Amino acid sequence: MSIPVSPAVEVLELEKTYRGLVGPGHRALAGLSLTIPRGAAFGLIGPNGAGKTTFIKLLLGIARPDRGTVRVLGGDPEDASVRQQVGYLPERLHLPAALKARDVLRSVSVLKRLHPTGEALRGLLERVGLRDSEQRVGTYSKGMRQRLGLAMALLGEPRLLVLDEPTDGIDPPGRVEVRALLLEERRRGATLLLNSHLLAETERVCDRVGVLDRGRLVLEGSLDEVRRASGRWFLRFAPGADPAALVRSGFTPEGPGWAFAGGDEGPLNQALDQARAAGARLVELVPAQRDLEAVLSRTLEGGP
Amino acid sequence: MRQVWRVALDLLLEASRRRWFVALFGAITVVLVVLGLSLQLEVVDGALAGSRLFGQVLLKDLFLGQTVLGFLNFAVALVAFHGGALFLCVACSDFAVELLAEGRIEHLLSLPVARWQLLFGTYLGVLALAAAGVLYGSLGLTLLLGVKSGLWSWRLAQGSALGWVGFCAIYAAMLTTAFFVRSAAASAAAGIATLVLGVLSSNREAVAAAIEAGAGRWAFRVLVMPFPRLGDLGQASAYLAMGRPFDALVTFKLALGCLLFSGALLSVAAWWFERKDF
Repeated sequence: MSIPVSPAVEVLELEKTYRGLVGPGHRALAGLSLTIPRGAAFGLIGPNGAGKTTFIKLLLGIARPDRGTVRVLGGDPEDASVRQQVGYLPERLHLPAALKARDVLRSVSVLKRLHPTGEALRGLLERVGLRDSEQRVGTYSKGMRQRLGLAMALLGEPRLLVLDEPTDGIDPPGRVEVRALLLEERRRGATLLLNSHLLAETERVCDRVGVLDRGRLVLEGSLDEVRRASGRWFLRFAPGADPAALVRSGFTPEGPGWAFAGGDEGPLNQALDQARAAGARLVELVPAQRDLEAVLSRTLEGGP
Repeated sequence: MRQVWRVALDLLLEASRRRWFVALFGAITVVLVVLGLSLQLEVVDGALAGSRLFGQVLLKDLFLGQTVLGFLNFAVALVAFHGGALFLCVACSDFAVELLAEGRIEHLLSLPVARWQLLFGTYLGVLALAAAGVLYGSLGLTLLLGVKSGLWSWRLAQGSALGWVGFCAIYAAMLTTAFFVRSAAASAAAGIATLVLGVLSSNREAVAAAIEAGAGRWAFRVLVMPFPRLGDLGQASAYLAMGRPFDALVTFKLALGCLLFSGALLSVAAWWFERKDF
């Protein structure tokens, strides 16, 4: 008999309103429920002000919810034993300017109750593309600070990595390196929660995505599910099919093949029957996929 | 409790990399080395028979060695109490502000450290830093004068330690202010205001008498009432350093006042910090 493993993240009916001195305040989360299984790479996407960073802060106990429950790795997010298994890179990381990278990592290790060797710290810095130099963090470029932030998050091989804009300020070759590093972490078995405005990056790293809008989760599922454009298909027919007959059946030429945008399986099969009756032979059928940018804009517009 | 010490150690590591503190310890070292090389003391049968600084005669008359050392300790303790407090008000004003900076506090709160541990760790770290400065300076001077004169007295270290208790109250005010307004300038201003109001609190009757009777005098009394009597504490630390007899019970009450003031302010800061969203 196997023991059920708790999800990496489990939130239920999460609500949060930031109250000002006057006025009703800003409602950042409005009843958000979400479960992220262990080992998943979950991408959180949505427009500015959708509540993504607030969600992350509630998840880590940096802010407290007005209502709802948060469980991280099966425990309370403020529990020290849970926090020890979580690595976090905040959106605008601020580092003590007088310290060197090695000192910063040592300081985080001490607070995380870890005892890495100097060799291990050097290895970690090299892994994120930094050298263990005498340079003070205050002189670092934004990209270098971000890399150091990643190293801080990776300390102690956490089981949950929460990364808020991890490649912000990093140059394109560096982004490729970071992506490879995140995929390595996934292979190690870590769960990733990625909040990035770079949707192409989310697409390449994550296997599940959630779209947040005005504090609510408006779409969630595997990457394939959310990218599937409902009612739209791509097809290829064997050579010799009569194009005029295919057009009459409802297909439109697109690239090397044909497209059908007439609806779901029912209308598609009707159109295929008609095409087959005209002598066409189907050799390939795939549901059309949209990129995440299209998914986001369609979802926010309320489209299919 | 271990995490509190870890936060404090972390702060000490950061301080050791800051030029301010390297400069402070460097300055104390330079003063001690210059005094060590240029000061000459000759004590015969407990009396200071000769004294020279940079080759110039300091005291022409014959004094009891312990009396001269006592006056020297008195002056050093008084200057260190007020001057040291002012220096630390400025130099330590941004530790808490740096800790609370956007992008750093979020990361710290994601680590296995409770909020109260961050607060008290920062407090202890700065007090440890002040204590290190006080100990280094006072023990260095004690050692130097002891070697030069052959007269050994640990009173300067004792007096400086009492002065350090006063800084506990000052930094509690600075830390609490920083947690509320996240400003190094406001934190330093709160520290200096506490020092000034603490000195006024020690002389409140004399100052109140100088204010016209009525609302103004009443407001002054209310304003200084919660502040520990730092002026009296500074004087007590100087008397202790000098070796002059002092009332132990009164001194204990002064120190207790500082600790109660610190405890009350830190409780407010902890209460606020615990319920704050970042």
